[in-house]
Amino acid sequence: MTAGDSRLRKKKPAETAENQPSVEDRHAPVRLLLGAWFLPGLGHFLLGKKKRAVVFAVVIFCAFITGVLLDGEIGTPKPDSPFSWLAAFACLGNGALAIARLVWLNGLGGLLGGLPFGLEGGGNPSAAGFAYGNTFLYTAGLMNLLAVLDVSDIARGEKS
Amino acid sequence: MDHLLLMIWHALLVSVFFAFLWRSTAAGRRNLFLKTFLIMVVGAAALGWLMYPFP
Repeated sequence: MTAGDSRLRKKKPAETAENQPSVEDRHAPVRLLLGAWFLPGLGHFLLGKKKRAVVFAVVIFCAFITGVLLDGEIGTPKPDSPFSWLAAFACLGNGALAIARLVWLNGLGGLLGGLPFGLEGGGNPSAAGFAYGNTFLYTAGLMNLLAVLDVSDIARGEKS
Repeated sequence: MDHLLLMIWHALLVSVFFAFLWRSTAAGRRNLFLKTFLIMVVGAAALGWLMYPFP
């Protein structure tokens, strides 16, 4: 048997029984990920992980509310401040909570018209809890983003 | 505003989150929660104590 015969005997991918995409090639539904981002805990709830969903929702909500009560600022992009984009990314991780807070501070018209540099993030830099509040807000957003990644892993079958 | 209380509250929230994110059994979650919570609280107190002599 020559090497050419050996190549011919190999089955094409479509003929094999294992033509299912591997875990790395599978994609989680975009709507599921958007829902998980928008409402903390929703992604896990929809995947049947109800206990985890409740815990994540409560933890992220508590961290966000603590941040707001401590006069923390929702991160918004500022010109000449590249790090403000990172703060905005972290805070936007809170999904509906961050958007609701921005609407509360700017109004819906102000929110849409103020993008990207005209947004008011609230907070009081002279307050004793300002830095602590920011930390809680960033932490809540980043935890929610980690939860979204967890939803993706579960939906793709990589994690139970 | 009690800074120590805020730190403990932050550590509590983060520890609970990661315990449920990374472990799926009750025992595993409890162990990870206790480990991360104690590391954060005791570690921060120890770091603060070590930094005390510095201006």
